[in-house]
This record gives sequence, C-alpha cells and structure tokens, in this order.
Amino acid sequence: MKAPDEELVALVVATKNAAAFGELVRRHQGLVRAMLQRMCRNHALADDLAQDAFIRAYEKIGTFTGKGAFKSWLCSIAYTEFLMAARKRRSTERAMEKFKTGLDDSEAPRDMGNVVDLDRALATLKEEERIAVVMCYSCGLSHSEAAEATGMPLGTVKSHVNRGRAKLQAYFQEAEEMAS
Amino acid sequence: MTMDDAFDARLKAAFADAAAPLERESESEAFSRSVVERLSRPDRKRVLILGGAGSTGSAIAGSQLESVFGNMHVPTEGLLANAGFLMSPEVLAAAAMAVAVGLVAVVLPRRIAG
Repeated sequence: MKAPDEELVALVVATKNAAAFGELVRRHQGLVRAMLQRMCRNHALADDLAQDAFIRAYEKIGTFTGKGAFKSWLCSIAYTEFLMAARKRRSTERAMEKFKTGLDDSEAPRDMGNVVDLDRALATLKEEERIAVVMCYSCGLSHSEAAEATGMPLGTVKSHVNRGRAKLQAYFQEAEEMAS
Repeated sequence: MTMDDAFDARLKAAFADAAAPLERESESEAFSRSVVERLSRPDRKRVLILGGAGSTGSAIAGSQLESVFGNMHVPTEGLLANAGFLMSPEVLAAAAMAVAVGLVAVVLPRRIAG
C-alpha cells in the first residue's frame, strides 16, 4: 500500500529524506509539468520551471501545514515560479509574447476529438482565464483551491473559469464546423 | 467544482490526454531522478556568494586585528612574561584568524547541505 502524501511530507520534514521527496515528485510531476506546459506553452521552459518548483517545495516543505491537499500547495508554488519567470522578462505581457514565440511546434499536436489542438485553443484565452481554466481542469483543483493557489478572489476565479470555458466551447464548435 | 456537463467531461479528457505522456513510468522516473540529483548537488552560485562574502568579511576583520591587539599591554615581568612571545599582536591576530577560518570551514558546508 502506498503511503499517503502527508506521511511522506512528515518524513521529509523530519529527516530531509530525499527518497521520500523523490516519491512525492514521482506522484505529482505529471500534474505540475502539465500545468506549466499549458500555462507557458513551451515544454522545455515548463520542465525547467517544474524542476525549480520542486526544489523550492523541498526547501519550503516545513511551511506545508496540511490544511489543504499537498497537490494544491505544490500548484501554488509552481504558479509562483511561473510568475517569477514571467517577471524576469520585465513584464508579464512581454514574457507571454516570448513564450508564444517559443511555442514548441515540433511535437505532434494533441487533438481534442481529433479536431483541434488544446494548446491552440488555450492560446485564445486571456492569461488569467487560461491560468484559472488550467488550474481547475488540468490540475483538478476546486475553485477555492485555485483561488488560494493563485491569490485571486474566489469570485474572480469562478468568472475566469466560466468565461474561459465558454470561449473554449465556442472555439471547438467553430473548429469542428470548419472541419466537417 | 466545475459545471458537470458533456463539454466539461470532454475538456477534462483533453487535459488528461495532453498530460498522459508525462505520466509514463520512464518519464516520471527520469524527471524525479533529475530533481533528487539537484537536491544533493549544492547550488554553485550560492556557494560562491557565501564563500565570497565570508572571505571578504574575514579579510576586512583580519586587517583590523593587528591594531586591536597592538594596544594590549604585554607583561614584561613575572610568570606571564614567559608567555609574552605568544602575546605579540601578530601571533594573536593569526590565532584569531585561524579560529575564524576554522569556524567558516565547519559552518559553511553544514549550512549549504541544510
């Protein structure tokens, strides 16, 4: 039987056990990397940020109170890493342009129902909408967990998710109509 | 919670499909190994900054030591006069520097590892 996250966290806090932390990384790396890939749309950059996020999580693991789920706490750290990377490029706007130009087109597109690429659909959303949608649909966080992770008010997260979702629905419908 | 309808399910499936390659055993193992390796490797930049700051501080403190010990009164008579050669400003400054360097050598690796 697998030990729950909280037990592994307690072990890491008490003994700085790298193997226990490695198990936590193994369990949650897919979630964190997928979230960052959808947010910045550059796979190499997303993986670098994911590594930094896990290192930061290891350094700050004593601050995890166990109040919420470990994955929510991890997502908030990864989101902070994403924001810091964006700020390094002077402003988030310019950073997003940079991320867009770095979009990895060499990979096979991951189609939704073999029609359109999810990343292209997400690119049509505003940054806040994309972040809220990714947090809720990719990471599986609730609206309140996403609000806590991003520092946005709960109502703002809800409206970003609803607006983003409506835009994605319209995008996919349009793409399917064009394809048929 | 997100609205539970057909589109929601489809959207969740699309995100899951996009994340699926990352969940492969080999992929998660390789990523996890690279993170754990980074944990055991001290950050070179941090070592250089801490080491540089420590060395600069020691050099500044060392340059002041001789004048501090220069004002000391060294006894010329009695039992302590026999140990007078050990109390010259140069020897005392060198001893203090040796203690400081020793402490840095002991503390720095522990701080970096911690």
